[in-house]
Amino acid sequence: MTDKPVLTLRDLSIEFPTPQGVVQAVKALSLEIHKGRRVGFIGESGSGKTTTALAVMQMLAEPGRVSGGTIDLGGTNVLGLSEEEMRRTRLSRVAYIPQGAMNSLNPVMRVEPQMWDGIIAHEGNVERTELKRRSDAALASVGLPLHTADLYPHELSGGMKQRVCIAMGIILNPELIIADEPTSALDVVTQRQVMQTLKAIKTKIGSGLMLIGHDMGLMAQTVDELAVLKDGELVEHGTVQQILQAPKHPYTRALIASVPLVGGESFLNPDARATAPKRASRAPLLQFDSVRKSYGAVTALHPMSFTLQGDTPQIISIVGQSGSGKSTMGSIMLGFNPTSSGRVLYEGQDVAGMNTAQSLDFRKNVQAVFQDPYACFNPFYRVNHALKFPFKQFGLSRSDAHTQTAMEDACAAVGLDPDLVLNRYPHQLSGGQRQRLVVARALMLSPKLLIADEPVSMVDASLRASILSNIYDLKDKYGISILYITHDLATAYHVSDYVMVLFKGKVVEAGPPKDVIGTPQHPYTKLLIDSIPWPDLDRSWGDGRTDWDPTKLESEAAKVGAVYRGVVPGFDLVQA
Amino acid sequence: MSTANMTRAEKRQARRFRRFDNPWINPKLVWGIGLLLGILALGVIGRIGWDLDLVFTGSSPLRLPPVGFENLRGQAGIGSHPIGTDGGGRDMLAMIIVGAPNTLFVGLLASVIGMSIGIFLGFSAGFIGGRADDVIRVSADVMITIPPLLILVVFQSAFGDVSLTMMALLIAGFVWQSPTRLIRAQVLSMKQSGYVQMAQLSGASTGHIMFREMMPNLVPYLFGSFIASVTTAIVTAVGLEVLGLGPQRIPTLGRTIYEAINAGALIQNLWWWWGIPTLLLAVIFIGLLLINLGLDEVSNPRLRKLS
Repeated sequence: MTDKPVLTLRDLSIEFPTPQGVVQAVKALSLEIHKGRRVGFIGESGSGKTTTALAVMQMLAEPGRVSGGTIDLGGTNVLGLSEEEMRRTRLSRVAYIPQGAMNSLNPVMRVEPQMWDGIIAHEGNVERTELKRRSDAALASVGLPLHTADLYPHELSGGMKQRVCIAMGIILNPELIIADEPTSALDVVTQRQVMQTLKAIKTKIGSGLMLIGHDMGLMAQTVDELAVLKDGELVEHGTVQQILQAPKHPYTRALIASVPLVGGESFLNPDARATAPKRASRAPLLQFDSVRKSYGAVTALHPMSFTLQGDTPQIISIVGQSGSGKSTMGSIMLGFNPTSSGRVLYEGQDVAGMNTAQSLDFRKNVQAVFQDPYACFNPFYRVNHALKFPFKQFGLSRSDAHTQTAMEDACAAVGLDPDLVLNRYPHQLSGGQRQRLVVARALMLSPKLLIADEPVSMVDASLRASILSNIYDLKDKYGISILYITHDLATAYHVSDYVMVLFKGKVVEAGPPKDVIGTPQHPYTKLLIDSIPWPDLDRSWGDGRTDWDPTKLESEAAKVGAVYRGVVPGFDLVQA
Repeated sequence: MSTANMTRAEKRQARRFRRFDNPWINPKLVWGIGLLLGILALGVIGRIGWDLDLVFTGSSPLRLPPVGFENLRGQAGIGSHPIGTDGGGRDMLAMIIVGAPNTLFVGLLASVIGMSIGIFLGFSAGFIGGRADDVIRVSADVMITIPPLLILVVFQSAFGDVSLTMMALLIAGFVWQSPTRLIRAQVLSMKQSGYVQMAQLSGASTGHIMFREMMPNLVPYLFGSFIASVTTAIVTAVGLEVLGLGPQRIPTLGRTIYEAINAGALIQNLWWWWGIPTLLLAVIFIGLLLINLGLDEVSNPRLRKLS
């Protein structure tokens, strides 16, 4: 706490008038951000984090307005500034790094002129050589090679785009940097790299940092102070040490508890094991026979063979970064995506060549939970349509009353109140509620195999554990085998019986989770596990080291052959 | 807050909120529908309360002005022909009672047929894909570049006298392209959406996915597209009629304008002859435009403003 704060919020209240009345998005928030301090704003979606940041930038979306309190930016009353004065303040004194870096770069301009725009807008005519010098310096400071300046945004990866955005934000040495979930769309490895860049740059220019996020682990690794927001109210504020070691508010405790840890206490409570539904066929439930998938010259999935017997219910996890081919595997299993070569066999029957009756049987028995719960419901119908229709379609319904009871039972089983949700339209439900309904739908149909493709990645952190335990119950109580596709190693560690780590379409490590994730042997698995941000201060992660270079580590990992760590009965992965 | 002690501004605000809640209470939509219903009411009530035999040539005195006006010969308008008569001795009121609904009928029929073709082709192109998609897309693109009036002029002069239905059919051949493209684009993007995948997982047939899952979500687009093609169809029909093509013996608004121009109504200052049908056409177009704007706001909540 050296000198006066760069940002002081005093009794800040923000409201949004809506047809249902005025919504208080932020309620009497008081907070100071000191020079050189990193302050994390954490809370669920709708807790007012982003709204506060936008109010500081005077960029609140209509019809939102600041209804009370003051915002003081290093001695300037932000609320009293005219539009023109505010324009000068943005970027030069306070920089905002938005959530989706992919969408905030102009796709038809090279990176360099976009960086110059900010300088020219604030300083008028600047020599071209000077502009070049400054943009190069900014790129270098975020660790990007100088030739990036001549590239178009689509030629950059997500992490590079995010770093370009950071470079643009700091080009005028602002007093305060606001980063709004800067890594939410990136995978763990890139996330660690971007966060490291952000920390290093903040130290270099000595500004304050306001980091908005919902991941307690990430916060623990990056910020000095934490502000916990709930429904627009600041429920707890203190240093990271204080909050992580002795959280006072129950909500903070819930947030910390919601982060699953590798090797930590399980959030599941395994019940008595159910037996798999009786199967008429002796053939294995699902079999991959050297399945390969390529898109043009790019091979998304190298030939892979495995057999899932399906006689005892199991959860097989497939983990990997984005682009590792894990989602391609999922859509191939569902028959949505034809294979380039090889066959997918369901109970001995090729998925690609089924007749109508076989196809209906396959559909009934192989169900899915998708990543995006918002898109899974037809906006035209009430949500019960999504449950009722397949139930009738597969001939499970004996009568309308029977369907209704089945729906109510399924909802209750996933912890939803059927009276509250079933007759609503999808937009009236939260993402978590919708994802539970999708799980309830799978439960009603009692398939033999469920493919869960990143089922919780778009759901609020605090709900993830409970939805995962709903999915786990499908195996445990109802005997459904599950293929769990995820990038989150910690959850895979807890729920699965067998883990396959996928890297560029190839299995690099496979075996029981306690071995693969608990004591990884393949360098790529180690890289993935090192990149997980832990809500644990002793386990340092982005400590400002600049020699941590994932690109190099990845290329080294690519040279190492696959490691097989033992087998589980009922699942047989053919070693490549 | 009770209604009694609200200020005027607050009441206005409350009304806006109500409008936001129920998009169908939209002043533009209501006015647009009102104007078109007015035209229809003119036809229906006129058929009951007016002598339709007055549309025949020579049934009335020539070139009488509307009531309250004088023509160049100094004749004043009379009550038995309240909005005057034309150069052929036909009563203007009877002409518009018969003509205005005819014009609407051509537009509606042509666009119902055009939309049906468009929905069928758009869904086929988007859903089947491959070669079918190529053929449909290319032919729609080619058809869009052809000016319909040019082709229709040739067609109709070859046919000679055509019926209203025949003209509607011919025009329908030129209003299916844009709905086809619009629906194809929507179907392509919807095919990838989560709920369509869910329906596939539920073992839904192609027909179910097309008509039960996708179609309801297309309704706002279909409505908008329908109104737009009614407008195009009426413009095309009136254009042909004003050129003297189209039905020769059935009164339509366009035909009346053609006859007025042909008989030199402009220089003889017989303004009611061409003016009244033009005014009615303007009312029809404004009505259609308002409906289209209103539907836009219904289907796109972002256009609905709170303040």
